[in-house]
Amino acid sequence: MAEETHLAEAVKRPNKRHIGKTKGSKARKKARKMPHSADGNRAMKPRKIDPKMKKLYRKRAREYDSEDDEKAGPLRNDDGSSSGDEAEGNDTRKADNGFSDGEEDDEIQPGITKLAEGCNAFRLAFRSIIKKTVSDDVLGPVLSGNKKLIAEKLAEEEAERKVKGEAKDKQLVIEKGHVAKPAYGPHEKFLINLATKGVVKLFNAVSKAQNAQKGLDPSRTKDAKVIRKRRKEAFFSELGKTSASAKAQMSKGAVASEGPAWPPLRDNYMLTNSNLKDWDKVRERVGKDDIGRMSEDSGSDDD
Amino acid sequence: MARFNNKRKPFVKPIAKKKLTTVDHVTGDKIPWSFVFSRGRLPGPLRQLKADLRKLLNPFTALNLKEKRRNTIRDFLNISGPMGVTHFLILSKTPTAPYLRVANTPQGSTLTFKIEEYSLAVDIKKSQKHPRCPKELFKNPPTIVLSGFVGEKHLTLASAMFRHIFPSIDANTVKLSSCQRILLLHYNKDTKLIDFRHYSIRLEPVGVSRRIRKFVQKHQVPDLRNLQDVSDFVTKAGYGSESEGDEEAETVTLASDLGRVNRASSKSAIKLQEIGPRMTLRLIKVEEGLCAGTVLFSEYDYGDGKKKDDNHEDAENEEDDGKDENEEEGSEDEEEGGEDMEED
Repeated sequence: MAEETHLAEAVKRPNKRHIGKTKGSKARKKARKMPHSADGNRAMKPRKIDPKMKKLYRKRAREYDSEDDEKAGPLRNDDGSSSGDEAEGNDTRKADNGFSDGEEDDEIQPGITKLAEGCNAFRLAFRSIIKKTVSDDVLGPVLSGNKKLIAEKLAEEEAERKVKGEAKDKQLVIEKGHVAKPAYGPHEKFLINLATKGVVKLFNAVSKAQNAQKGLDPSRTKDAKVIRKRRKEAFFSELGKTSASAKAQMSKGAVASEGPAWPPLRDNYMLTNSNLKDWDKVRERVGKDDIGRMSEDSGSDDD
Repeated sequence: MARFNNKRKPFVKPIAKKKLTTVDHVTGDKIPWSFVFSRGRLPGPLRQLKADLRKLLNPFTALNLKEKRRNTIRDFLNISGPMGVTHFLILSKTPTAPYLRVANTPQGSTLTFKIEEYSLAVDIKKSQKHPRCPKELFKNPPTIVLSGFVGEKHLTLASAMFRHIFPSIDANTVKLSSCQRILLLHYNKDTKLIDFRHYSIRLEPVGVSRRIRKFVQKHQVPDLRNLQDVSDFVTKAGYGSESEGDEEAETVTLASDLGRVNRASSKSAIKLQEIGPRMTLRLIKVEEGLCAGTVLFSEYDYGDGKKKDDNHEDAENEEDDGKDENEEEGSEDEEEGGEDMEED
């Protein structure tokens, strides 16, 4: 397909040429491409780069002219500008000559400066650069002039720092109250002593209670009876220690064993129960189960 | 018709319900069970603290209690009835501080503690040269020692609450080998802080050199290279164990033999070693209901305690919805409120 189209174009082109010659400027433009297209597809490629080259050529030409302004004068300028404008146009109009303009000038080609003679513009530029005093900047002397870049970089750093700070704050919130390295000061020693005292009390109480029933097996009914008797004795001995009023209340409690809410009764019961939960505390609270057991005990009193 | 009558219902084997030991075998006392869970999302260290607390409350707690974000307190409450759970320990967190709520179920009072400082069991372990953790340590409940909880009403309430979290000990029947851990709660009147410490109990025979004790404890052939005679092993004084003499108060006579070295006939010294977690708590609020109800006591004396309470609930509801941002906002609001109160 592609080949066919090429062929078709190839066929048409001669016609176009004719049309172009006969008709207006529009046709002319198309005709300009002619000589290259006639050479073939290969010729098309350099043609494509042309716009870039064109710019380059123009630039060089301008520079060349500006030099010449100082030297020669405006006359040359006209000449140069015309050559620059029609740099690409040369090929079409004067197909035979090509860049003949530049070659004919011979002395200085467009776009090429002869350094041997010395270039005033370069000299001036260098002088201006060298004269410039450069402040010590973060970005160095090369980009020293670019304030925008510096500002950008500083802003970036600031943002980074901010993000880091936020992360730190978050971590602080997470770790709030957490002491990763616990201290062992005098306070800790005091607490350990306190706890030790508590444990000693507990162990002593246990040994006191269990030594009393040593050699007795609570699973045997006979021993169980003995144990119960001893506990009862302990109970009453404890009662004897307390005030007379408490005793009186106790007897009342024994009679009305169903009454669950009877604080003095509970108090007394706690003494015999030897419930070590409260060994270091004031006795105050006993569950309902205990009261139930209490009533059983008081029942056994009668036996 | 007869046929139909003959048709018997298939026998369905009743599903054996695993019976929870809600009652002590020996004493018949009711055993308190507890749940430790969190409200809202906890950061890493606090999650670890939760695990530590569960370990501390072993064995009468739900060690692997799974919770989801949409679980409300009501869910836990519903399950607590059939499971025989009597106490909730609820951890929560605001930007100001972490909080611990201890509540009695189903409708009991709630104590809110602000956790001023805490160290995890891991931190304690790291800080010790020879951390101690025998296998049997967490198989029995700890005993609790309360000190300084006298005077005001809310203190007695707090002490009662803590005491009832753990099963009671009956002196007549208790085995000494089951007393391995101790939880100390010490109320400091001046600072109004509660020190929460957890220790392991170790017993050592008094008047026995370290060498012999080790020899008895371990079944290892001792190193006799540097000794002239076998008798030296017994007579030669070892280096350590100088600290034994001074603490007469710390020695006990055991009711029964304990282990290989601690005999009932000889005296034993009590050595405590800390096992985490360690906390410093401040009691800031006492509520009548379960995380609700009238405020019986408040550390920060503000006028409308009820209002603040409602805010707290709102924040919680937001958390339940599972919206992260909302949750954070809510907690921030809460924090602001809290700080205001502190300033007051």
